Amino acid sequence: MEAFLIRYSIYVVFLIVFVIWIGIAGWLWRLERRLVELEQWARQHEGNRP
Amino acid sequence: MKAILIGLGVVGGIIVGLVPAVHRPRPRWWMALCVGGMGLTIALGLLPPLSGTFRDAVITWRQVNPELYVPVAGTLDWDAAVASGDTLVVPMTDRAIPPTTAQVLIPSALFVPKDASVVILAVQRWKNDQQFVVQGIVAADPILALPFIPGLEERARNLFFHVPLSWVAVVAYAYALWYAVLFLRRRRFIDDVHSVSAVSIGTLFALLATVTGSIWAKFNWGSFWNWDPRETSIFLLLLIYAAYFALRQSIEEPQRRAQIAAVYAIVAFVTVPFLVFIMPRLMEGLHPGSASDQTAGPILSTQPGVLHPLKQIVFALSMFSFSLLFFWLLSLRVRSGILALRHKIQQVQEISETS
Repeated sequence: MEAFLIRYSIYVVFLIVFVIWIGIAGWLWRLERRLVELEQWARQHEGNRP
Repeated sequence: MKAILIGLGVVGGIIVGLVPAVHRPRPRWWMALCVGGMGLTIALGLLPPLSGTFRDAVITWRQVNPELYVPVAGTLDWDAAVASGDTLVVPMTDRAIPPTTAQVLIPSALFVPKDASVVILAVQRWKNDQQFVVQGIVAADPILALPFIPGLEERARNLFFHVPLSWVAVVAYAYALWYAVLFLRRRRFIDDVHSVSAVSIGTLFALLATVTGSIWAKFNWGSFWNWDPRETSIFLLLLIYAAYFALRQSIEEPQRRAQIAAVYAIVAFVTVPFLVFIMPRLMEGLHPGSASDQTAGPILSTQPGVLHPLKQIVFALSMFSFSLLFFWLLSLRVRSGILALRHKIQQVQEISETS
């Protein structure tokens, strides 16, 4: 098991880093969309102000 | 060639990062470029196998660790193979310039494809510098391979993550300086939002650079922290910018807070070129490019062959992608800061209208 981990350690590191990045990217993408919605909402409300 | 590639990565990252402007939403193509660029950086930085030479295997055996198996790329001459007990003795010519031919002892149980023109074998020096025992096969006909560096091995890949993180921190602090100057000239709170956002994200990147460097140092220099001049300088830089947040928190009046923070951001940036580019190069240290190093380090050195062409490409790509990631985070932080600022102004206006 140890020999396997040492030999394939870089692939394990790749998998961990890649999965973390996909998670971060997905979170950023969703955050971007939500912020755009919030900006639109804020613009509409500012326009409706008396 | 190296300067052009890295320059393109650095300048391209900043230009594409600033188009569209930071306070505008990121278009889909822009986000896809950032996600794809980072994904490609991770894949190209971590997946290609290392490929060394017999000379690297001898250096590793003599100077680094005699127990270590070194990936050596080369062509096997199966026609001249000789069976000896349960091993095959096969002449192999590596891909060094000029190439070296040595005998590799392959266990019969190990499968090595005979039709592969180039194989990377994990070898260890055996009885002399011309005989190597094979532990396993790393790759057959690899599309890409990164160079093996004795003493660094797989840890050399840290270059694609640690250096861009530090560089982006410098870009962030420069951005904060620019908007601090703009705030002092125009007195617009939006400039203060830009400045404080850049400092927060710059400090996050500086922290990540410290963590990646520290983990690397543990496995290469034996300790997480060595008080090397560059480690000391990043520590000072983190302290200086941590004080920026403490300063902001200590002032309640918004106009005064933004004004003093802007002056502090300008003064703090004066230390950045000295702490990042000058001091670690003047003093003797463990980092490449320090006074005790004969070269200016793998990135800045003008000597040919210091940085492998594939590493130059991956490094340029990583500088570009990390810059985009910084501008994406900055855009999110600035835009949410502007929304919060507008909300506050609206609240103040409503209160003044009702009273």
